[in-house]
Amino acid sequence: MQRMMRGRGVAASWYGIARTATIDRAGAWAELDDGGTAKIVTGVTEIGEGILTLLSQVAAEELGIKPEEVTIGDNDTARSPEAAHAGATRQTYMIGNSVALACRDARSRLDKELASHWDVDQDSIHAFDGEIWSEGSNLKMTMEEAVDVCKKRGVVPVGSGSFTAHGTGLDPVDGSGSPWQAYVFGCQVAEVAVDTVTGEVQVLGIWASHDVGRAINPRGVEGQIEGGVVQGLGQALMEDYQLEKGHTKTHGFAKYILPTSLDIPQINTTIVEDPDPKSPLGAKGIGEPALVPTAPAIMNAIYDAVGVRITSLPATPEKVLAALAAKAKSASGTMQAAE
Amino acid sequence: MSEFELEMTVNGKPIHRRAKPHQRLLDFIRDDLNLTGTKEGCGAGECGTCSVFVDGKLIKSCLMPVAKAQGVQIETIEGLAPHGSDLTTVQKAFHKTGASQCGYCIPGMVMAATSALRENPDAGIEEIKERLGGNICRCTGYTKIFEAVEIARDVIAGKLSSTVLDADGAGKSYIGNNVRRLDAPSKVAGKLRYAGDMVMPGMLHMQVLRSPHAHALVKSINTSAAEALPGVACVVTAADVPGEDGFGVFVHDQPVMADDRVRYVGEAVAAVAADDVLTAKRALELIELEYEEIPAVFDVEEAMKKGAPVIHDYAAGNLVKHIPIRKGDIEKGFAEADLIVEQAYDTQPVEHAYLEPEAGIAFVDHDDVVTVISPSQNITHHRHMLAKIINKPINKVRFIMSPVGGGFGGKEDMIYQGILALATMKAGQPVRLVFTREESIISTAKRHPAQIKYKMGIKNDGRITAVSFEMISDGGAYGLSTEGVMRKAAILSCGPYDIPNVQIDTYGVYTNNTPSGAFRTFGAMQSQFATESHMDICAEKLGLDPFEFRRINMMRDGAVTHTMQTLGSVSIGRVLDAAEKASRWEKGPVGVRGSERKDVGGDDTRPPCTLGARFRKEEKNGRQEVA
Repeated sequence: MQRMMRGRGVAASWYGIARTATIDRAGAWAELDDGGTAKIVTGVTEIGEGILTLLSQVAAEELGIKPEEVTIGDNDTARSPEAAHAGATRQTYMIGNSVALACRDARSRLDKELASHWDVDQDSIHAFDGEIWSEGSNLKMTMEEAVDVCKKRGVVPVGSGSFTAHGTGLDPVDGSGSPWQAYVFGCQVAEVAVDTVTGEVQVLGIWASHDVGRAINPRGVEGQIEGGVVQGLGQALMEDYQLEKGHTKTHGFAKYILPTSLDIPQINTTIVEDPDPKSPLGAKGIGEPALVPTAPAIMNAIYDAVGVRITSLPATPEKVLAALAAKAKSASGTMQAAE
Repeated sequence: MSEFELEMTVNGKPIHRRAKPHQRLLDFIRDDLNLTGTKEGCGAGECGTCSVFVDGKLIKSCLMPVAKAQGVQIETIEGLAPHGSDLTTVQKAFHKTGASQCGYCIPGMVMAATSALRENPDAGIEEIKERLGGNICRCTGYTKIFEAVEIARDVIAGKLSSTVLDADGAGKSYIGNNVRRLDAPSKVAGKLRYAGDMVMPGMLHMQVLRSPHAHALVKSINTSAAEALPGVACVVTAADVPGEDGFGVFVHDQPVMADDRVRYVGEAVAAVAADDVLTAKRALELIELEYEEIPAVFDVEEAMKKGAPVIHDYAAGNLVKHIPIRKGDIEKGFAEADLIVEQAYDTQPVEHAYLEPEAGIAFVDHDDVVTVISPSQNITHHRHMLAKIINKPINKVRFIMSPVGGGFGGKEDMIYQGILALATMKAGQPVRLVFTREESIISTAKRHPAQIKYKMGIKNDGRITAVSFEMISDGGAYGLSTEGVMRKAAILSCGPYDIPNVQIDTYGVYTNNTPSGAFRTFGAMQSQFATESHMDICAEKLGLDPFEFRRINMMRDGAVTHTMQTLGSVSIGRVLDAAEKASRWEKGPVGVRGSERKDVGGDDTRPPCTLGARFRKEEKNGRQEVA
């Protein structure tokens, strides 16, 4: 056997979107504001996934303005409507859809006034990127002017939205139930190099394909997948919180080993879009599902490379070497038996 | 030791201040100069979030005593793009590529990237990776950071037009549009304030006394000496809870601070709020605590045995939750199989390792509203729980979610916000608590470890006839999210496959280990790791390609899941096709075929890392030139 052995493995996955086995809900308020800007108020904030940018995109699209003209008033139980927690791959699905609904509500107030002002059918009114017009006519103005018209008619264009995901609880005996209304699926291929002298495994490539429903910000989706893959890689190969009689032995980053820049495979992402039919945006989610298939894909790749099956995470160099030694021993044992 | 005179230049401005000998350069920059763009992630020089330039050299400011910085030139993240000026090319490139997510590591990462390109404007990707090697990022997977540094390098060198850094434009829609992150400019410039960066007038500093024992009775607590220490505003313990003590995501089994019993090492027992952190630390040493150790249990199988120490009185068998799922007839399914494959798997506990350690600031406002600002991932639920704990109506409890410097589920637990609320109510002043890295690691939840027994029945044609799946997980000392994690692990355990007969059982168990809780995938990673490993083992026995075996068994549109839910559209076939095509997968039965593969080593992989080899090569070339 050569020192460095290459191999590839695949793993698939699935995941449910939003809270599990229960009804999930989120609320938002929207206001088309002076200058053609907007305020969106909802109860959660950024945990790094890009939700504030995503909500600004959703609001901009629904209201017909630019994302940078949206101000998100977030994160305060005393000042914003309930949006519950930042987890469960629910932010895009729950809060994104509630913001879309709130914006539609605000727009319908504005459009009603504008339809009356222009004397056109309300359904003919469209808006995008700061302009609003009546389709099939030369009636057009900026959103700044439209908000001004609406307010001079005595109406503040505000709206609210509440979005529900109808999960049901599981039967306590047989577990039957419909835990989520939206599911996503994923698949990752890993390519590894195994050093048969040191036992070290390097992941050189990951091909990740994930259904996200609809990618609101494709680059943001890639970022979530890349981050998830690297957390999965960490769990697959190095991370290990160790206790001895309840006392941790890994109380700092010198002992608790995390992936750093030199551990990172080239990550090749393919976004698959199977839109959710039960929500206004069609988007589902990607935060958590991104890391589900990574570790088994790497273990399957190690097997493909050197023929050892690591069933106990993480696949540290010590474990890989021990497995290689056991394999060599059993192979020589088999040969002796054959003689 | 007394204060001393300190002179230095910071971001071009001369500084002349008094400093304290115990301060690190990081403390002086953050606390005295209020330059909070420089973050503390570990306090041990291991994560790089506190990187600054000292006399032009990149250093970790948590490792440098401020006394050593006499007379030096310091440049912090705030100095790269001074107030009123444009972001630097490196910062703009981070903005463009989406290189910042939670943003907490980003000031340090921008400093390291800036250093890399200052030291070598032609640095190749391998050298860039090496130069970023001292900076940890937990969110991004580094990929967009590498892209940003390469773009910045090429723009600075004039090889790329600076227009590549501009926004993409509206196109036809803002949906499906790579709008640059709106929060990125504040993150790459170090302007965004996380909870640990916030200060309020009259603010006190909190330190927490934690249990050194895994399982012990608290016989007595005497806080009078600590309270008498000058500078101490108050000491809080479980006795200060006015309402119904207890929090948790599914079962409220964890007190704000231990009352009569500690159940894990690192559990909070008492806390001090004082004028400064040092006084608070000294006061902790004056708290007199009498413990009586009692038998503890650290292993799930031991914990489930008759006669095991009981961790919570309500759960005599130490069971947090058992989730059963049954579909079809498992005996019949295995009887129909041509082959039955059994294998055990296990996974380890994992630390979230968000770069922002837990932090919070609490105050009581003019209308007597108890307010807690913290990077809580669940302010809605936390206010419900805190209202009960402090016995106030919901509208007198306010939670503000500060920017979260990485969460991954680890900040869903109300592990310290209750302590802060009790202290600010008692002291009548704002109180801030910032965890050390070690405190964060020992006291907060981990990913559940899992022990899994897997048994699959298959036909020779590749159809799965039955699966039995059993998973036992260590939930640690408190329930937190264990119930939900067991449920999600169970529902998703058998994967996206159409299996007529399944028997699934997941068990979450109490022990005296660090509690387990929510962590990105909520149990699904553990259970599907077993499933996807098992799929390959079975495919090999059948001589099938791994994609092929998965396709034979995958759910299709309208499939009925393991919990008997009828699905609509199912995209597993599409994602399998996409991954197979993108990876140029060479078809063939599962086996040890790496050495024969023609599909490895493509342009879409990186070369193996040979750390240091680049320098050896350069050295060799250098010598050759000399020769």
